[in-house]
Amino acid sequence: MDNVRNFCIIAHIDHGKSTLADRLIQTCGGVSDREFRDQILDSMDLERERGITIKSNTITLPFTSKKDGRTYRLNLIDTPGHVDFSHEVRRSLMSCEGALLLVDASQGVEAQTVANLYLALEFDLELLPVINKIDLPSADVDRAREEIDSDLGLDPFEAVEVSAKTGLGVEDLLEALVEKLPPPEGDPGAQLQALIFDAQYDVYRGVVMLVRVKDGTLKKGQDIFLMHTKKTYQVEEVGLLKLEREASECLEAGNVGYVIAGVKSVRDITIGDTVTDAKNRSAEALPGYRPARPVVFASLYPIASDEYEDLTAALEKLSLNDAALTYEKDSSAALGFGFRCGFLGLLHLEVVQQRLEREFGLALLLSAPTVSYRVKLKTGEELVVDNPVFFPDPSEIEATYEPYIKAQIWIPERYVGTIMELCRDRRADDIQLRYLTQSRVEVNSILPLGEVLFDFYDKLKSYTQGYGSFDYEMFEYRETRIVKVDILVNGEPVDALSQLTHEDRARQRALHYCERLEETIPRQQFKIAIQGAIGGKIIARTTINAYRKDVTAKCYGGDITRKRKLLEKQREGKKKMKVVGSVEIPQEAFVAVLKSEAGK
Amino acid sequence: MRPGLYVHVPFCSAICPYCDFAVRVGDAADGAGFVDSLLVELNGLATGDALSDLPAVATAVSRLVAGEFGRFDTIYLGGGTPSVLAERDLRRLLEALRERLPVDDDVKFFFEANPEDVTAQSLRLWNDLGVSMLSLGIQSFDSDQLRFLGRRHHADEARRAVQMALEAGFDTVSIDLIYGLPGQTEDAWRRELETAAHLDPQHLSCYELEIHPRTVFGKRSARGELRELSEDDQADLFLLTHRHLAEHGFEGYEVSNFARSPEHRSAHNAKYWHHVPYLGLGPSAHSYAPTGEGGVRWWNERHTRRWARSLGEGRAAVDDHEALSFGDLAFEALMLGLRTVDGVDCRRLERDFGVDILTGHAKQIEIWRVQGLVTRTDHRIRPTVAGMALADRLVTDLQLEHEITTEIDRA
Repeated sequence: MDNVRNFCIIAHIDHGKSTLADRLIQTCGGVSDREFRDQILDSMDLERERGITIKSNTITLPFTSKKDGRTYRLNLIDTPGHVDFSHEVRRSLMSCEGALLLVDASQGVEAQTVANLYLALEFDLELLPVINKIDLPSADVDRAREEIDSDLGLDPFEAVEVSAKTGLGVEDLLEALVEKLPPPEGDPGAQLQALIFDAQYDVYRGVVMLVRVKDGTLKKGQDIFLMHTKKTYQVEEVGLLKLEREASECLEAGNVGYVIAGVKSVRDITIGDTVTDAKNRSAEALPGYRPARPVVFASLYPIASDEYEDLTAALEKLSLNDAALTYEKDSSAALGFGFRCGFLGLLHLEVVQQRLEREFGLALLLSAPTVSYRVKLKTGEELVVDNPVFFPDPSEIEATYEPYIKAQIWIPERYVGTIMELCRDRRADDIQLRYLTQSRVEVNSILPLGEVLFDFYDKLKSYTQGYGSFDYEMFEYRETRIVKVDILVNGEPVDALSQLTHEDRARQRALHYCERLEETIPRQQFKIAIQGAIGGKIIARTTINAYRKDVTAKCYGGDITRKRKLLEKQREGKKKMKVVGSVEIPQEAFVAVLKSEAGK
Repeated sequence: MRPGLYVHVPFCSAICPYCDFAVRVGDAADGAGFVDSLLVELNGLATGDALSDLPAVATAVSRLVAGEFGRFDTIYLGGGTPSVLAERDLRRLLEALRERLPVDDDVKFFFEANPEDVTAQSLRLWNDLGVSMLSLGIQSFDSDQLRFLGRRHHADEARRAVQMALEAGFDTVSIDLIYGLPGQTEDAWRRELETAAHLDPQHLSCYELEIHPRTVFGKRSARGELRELSEDDQADLFLLTHRHLAEHGFEGYEVSNFARSPEHRSAHNAKYWHHVPYLGLGPSAHSYAPTGEGGVRWWNERHTRRWARSLGEGRAAVDDHEALSFGDLAFEALMLGLRTVDGVDCRRLERDFGVDILTGHAKQIEIWRVQGLVTRTDHRIRPTVAGMALADRLVTDLQLEHEITTEIDRA
């Protein structure tokens, strides 16, 4: 056990965590050159594309120290780098004794680095500061050291200088790692206690649980009991997580590895659960079980209604390895059958949507995302509403509450004015500025989550020419004035377009929807009124005139075929339209309205 | 009605920026070689030596050539600009058509000409050849508009050409005009119509400008340099055209065609609209003939060089064909019928194609009637002018699949 090190890397976004992980893997020879791809741990295309880690991965690396000649088993436990997935970060941290705290030599200690430090300290981890990107011309190692001392309170002389990109200093880092980070404790002979910190899904083997054995030994053939779900399974296989799974006879205390035990779906287990021996059960579970709660909700519909079955199958498959995704059947008069889904955040939503579209080839429509509101009725009853369909009539409502987030925004100083304006526009409370350096500012603000759902991140990026970054955590519910805005087409509500929004925003949003519909619904036999309404009150209106001219001037002599084909195509297009109150609405209209705001 | 004959002459002295027909730059010199190829094509069809590999097409051509559908009683020379052809070429072409094909003695001859080709001499020639309807590509009586349209004649020339043609004594002289140019006002277009009406031709074709992607206008439009009129402006001009010409005694018998009296309507174009058999010669020309299962339409190679090469190699110059089911024919009949003042004969539709729209679409037709888009007398549905302006829309409002499949199932 003395030769084992369980560690993770924590860093501010863009400080080079994935690159360092790659370099460690390559240096330890855990991966042959042929197998090596950049950012090997971020296995999903989407993660690689966006440069973020969504689903954490774990790998065991052999390392022989040149100093003491011993061979170590290093368990690198990867952590996701985005706030939507902070529950996964916590679980990963619980499996480690130490962490590499990465600081960008050119940017120094960032706010998130501090936040990560506290998180790591919460789990009592030993920390080894690492100064990365020393190869950059703008690197200022001395300043980084100073900040490690002053801002983090860590020993600046322990900090190892590396360039994860070039590989410079990585050997030294590994030596420091085995020297400074403690080996795990635990008794292989004691009662079994192992923490499930992650799970993967294997098409052939079912659920592969990733565990950290705290005490005792996990053996093949053993009957195990999961303490939260209260289910018993028999261990089919245990082993280490090299680049591929490597089966072994047992996993002893202090080790990190995998367990396959005939579990069919990740829904059958809960991450953070404790594995114990079925016959010799541990009295207490390990701390750290905290279910992931969705905070953003939206409905997904297939654009082609005959893809509903495919969507059902795709969601089932996706949820096999995404336990945080919730979904239930939903139906809309305008869009047909779909699913009401719950997500950990906007990024999670986008990841799910894109995976469904890319990996399963589905064309999807997403209703306006909403947060979970609390509604107090005049009767004293309290409701939680995350779907406009269930929002009560205004006359019954005593008060409404909406979730607020604590947002941290990092921007170059010159954009302060613009970004403060953006925050104020999004109903920010309490905007505070902190100058990290003369040119870099951290904006702290309390914002309604619902205001961040729509294009906030896009706006931030475009206003700051890509230099701004943003993170948030859930804060608290505050009293607000939420209303339900319905969109009516010739007096008929289009359920898929109903949305919950702040009263001050209602008119603007309703008008925006009406205008998009006006642009995208073709003229029809009758004049069409498009209205936005709260309850019975009309707050926005546009009109589409009846069509007047739709005929080609020429029939091209005898080439009647060409004309017929053109019209047949138009007629096919009409069949795909949804009819609401005798008005034909093309799918493109929904796409235009919903895509103009959703997701991003 | 008896079959019609169409000959496509692809040459123009320059290509108009809005035109998306099969055209190429060429003159009388090119015309000689071209007519040689036409005669090869004609000979191949008439002798059966160079029929299409497509059996349905070969059969249809043989039947047309053998006069099984009757003798051809219209010949239409269109383009392009048929008036670029030299006298000698025109004469030998017409002679060959009469000689090799079953052409009726009373055949009506339709001829397209550009105003710059109208001279006392050419008029004498066309008269001598027996042209009964002469269509003049005037397009506009306004010099600025003519320049914008890339035409090679002036306003004065246009007026003089019409006057001369009218004096030459053809049965029907027709003026082609284009309207709906970017920025064109109702007043400006009304003045053009006034000018045309006062010249007093027997026939007018007024085409609303359409911008096609692969034309010069199409490219300019894609770059945002040229803006089509809004739907409302287009509709206003369309209605103005029909109303104004009606006041001057021209009946709008089709979306874009107006005649002094029924005998001046284009008897040749009517064949396209009523599934009367027609045979097309020359590049891009289309042909149609009925079959036991419905009909067959086929078309020649669009590019003149490719068309001529096929013929030179002793093959038919057919590019492709389409077998039309009765359902297709019914759809076309509706599509075309709703473009004409005579409308759709629903009883005929049921008799010929097995589609009963009066029962299946009674409600939709009633809505149109209430909206003033059609009138209904017994078994005939006729579009009003407002209905004609929406002809494409009306036909797509009807979902015919059901009736057609039922009919096929029954058969």
